[in-house]
Amino acid sequence: MVQLTTHGSNPTMNGMDPALKPRLQRRSAFEYAAWAVCILLGVGLLVSVATNPNFQWDVVAKYFTNESILRGLVLTIVLTVVSMVLGTLLGLVLAIMRSSSIKPIAATAGAYITFFRGTPVLVQLIFWFNIAALYPNLSIGGTDIDVNALITPIMAAVIGLTLNEAAYMAEIIRGGFSSVAKGQIEAADSLGMSGMMKMRKVIIPQAMPSIIPATGNQVIGMFKETSLVSVLGVAELLQSAQLIYARTYETIPLLIVASLWYLVMTLLLSYPQSQLEKKYSRSSSRLPRKAKKVVLTDPEGIAR
Amino acid sequence: MTCDGTIHGRGIRKSFGAKTVLQNIDLDIASGEICCIIGPSGSGKSTLLRCVNGLETVDLGVLKVNGELFGYYETDSAFHALSRTRLAEQRTKVGIVFQQFNLFPNMTAQDNIMAGPVLVKGGDKKQAAQRAQQLLASVGLSGFGGHYPAQLSGGQQQRVAIARALAMDPQIMLFDEPTSALDPEKVGEVLAVMKDLAQKGMTMVVVTHEMGFAREVADTLLFMDEGCIVERGDAREVLANPKERRTQAFLERVL
Repeated sequence: MVQLTTHGSNPTMNGMDPALKPRLQRRSAFEYAAWAVCILLGVGLLVSVATNPNFQWDVVAKYFTNESILRGLVLTIVLTVVSMVLGTLLGLVLAIMRSSSIKPIAATAGAYITFFRGTPVLVQLIFWFNIAALYPNLSIGGTDIDVNALITPIMAAVIGLTLNEAAYMAEIIRGGFSSVAKGQIEAADSLGMSGMMKMRKVIIPQAMPSIIPATGNQVIGMFKETSLVSVLGVAELLQSAQLIYARTYETIPLLIVASLWYLVMTLLLSYPQSQLEKKYSRSSSRLPRKAKKVVLTDPEGIAR
Repeated sequence: MTCDGTIHGRGIRKSFGAKTVLQNIDLDIASGEICCIIGPSGSGKSTLLRCVNGLETVDLGVLKVNGELFGYYETDSAFHALSRTRLAEQRTKVGIVFQQFNLFPNMTAQDNIMAGPVLVKGGDKKQAAQRAQQLLASVGLSGFGGHYPAQLSGGQQQRVAIARALAMDPQIMLFDEPTSALDPEKVGEVLAVMKDLAQKGMTMVVVTHEMGFAREVADTLLFMDEGCIVERGDAREVLANPKERRTQAFLERVL
């Protein structure tokens, strides 16, 4: 609401105390113009989408809760959860290796991260699917395993997504480690803590505030990344849609169905994500969650 | 091998890259001695202190802490670095208190104090908790065990940090400018705890700008400048009648 007041500073004019008058933001003509343009464009787009029969909204509605679409959605969720959990665990190991003072260990982790971040995940997925071409037989403890039978499309999808995600998570976790103040590590050292103890009790708990929001982002990214495994023939959300339109030729409506589901899930995930970000960006985040509120009535302990 | 709370140094040298921060340091601190180190910033005071705790390693020279070669063992031709476990063991006998407190923010005051005895020494939790209560009481903070560092004032945090270092039962306590990050109001409460500790016969090395504390509590005083010990002697004597021109100039400016 914008009120155009001409000359309101005189209390006798309308009997209002100038000290109590609200202060209004100045709005530029550009802002009004931007509103107008946006509304026009938005309405135009809506009308076009609603009236263009090629969108076939009835088909979209028909397939939105189709059983094979829902089954694809579940598989997409499972793939996301499994690759994120495994990827985060492997990423943690890589991050610890990368910050090791033992050169070959740090270099191994560095090489892994460089390789897996440096090649496209789509290529990696196809690569894992065809790994049997490189190593047809795997021999573990004397028993031979046929790699071709072992690497099913879902297996290749999980391996590919996990190994790729681990490289990114390793960098996120390492970034978290380096956000821990040097003095904290010195304090742990001066108490004689061993490397793993320091990691578990001092570094990881304090790195969490910077790791968790970034991981939330990765989950959202991973959810959409899983669509890549459709090239392996895994019947996740996108592949399920593709399977249907290959039969019915209703390409656009089914792609809309898949997109809507991706959008819905991303929106559902981005609420907790933004809450996490808010929670950890607060200055009070240095206080652990389980800390009780302390009301300091007598604020100082008395020094003798 | 005795655990006697002494520090002996001969010809200690330390550089960071091309910059020499400690040169030709000879040091003799007796058991129960309170030694204050003063000097301008960048003179190597903190580095010397950190060497005694192994946060920095010396490049050259002999450093004996608690009667043992610190961080190294000697053969005919060289000093060899000790294993991490042996080094950690030596370090637990030397407590250090930092300028920035460096309490673990993810632990309560009591857990901070218990971290050393329980996590490092593998001691009994109940006993450690009891000891932590006693230590908190001895620094005037009984009842603050459940508070997190962020809920404590600077002075309180520093007193918890002192208690944390004491929980390891060290023979030597090092203080690296313990009051420099505090409000002037809160300096007194930390110095009071340190005085108390000095009276109990703890060997203490204190890097400080608190000349009043040095005059009142210290036995000996070292004045350092540009990586060398310029002047040393009885604390009151040096503060009252500095012999070296460099010391005179410094004291004139800070007193």
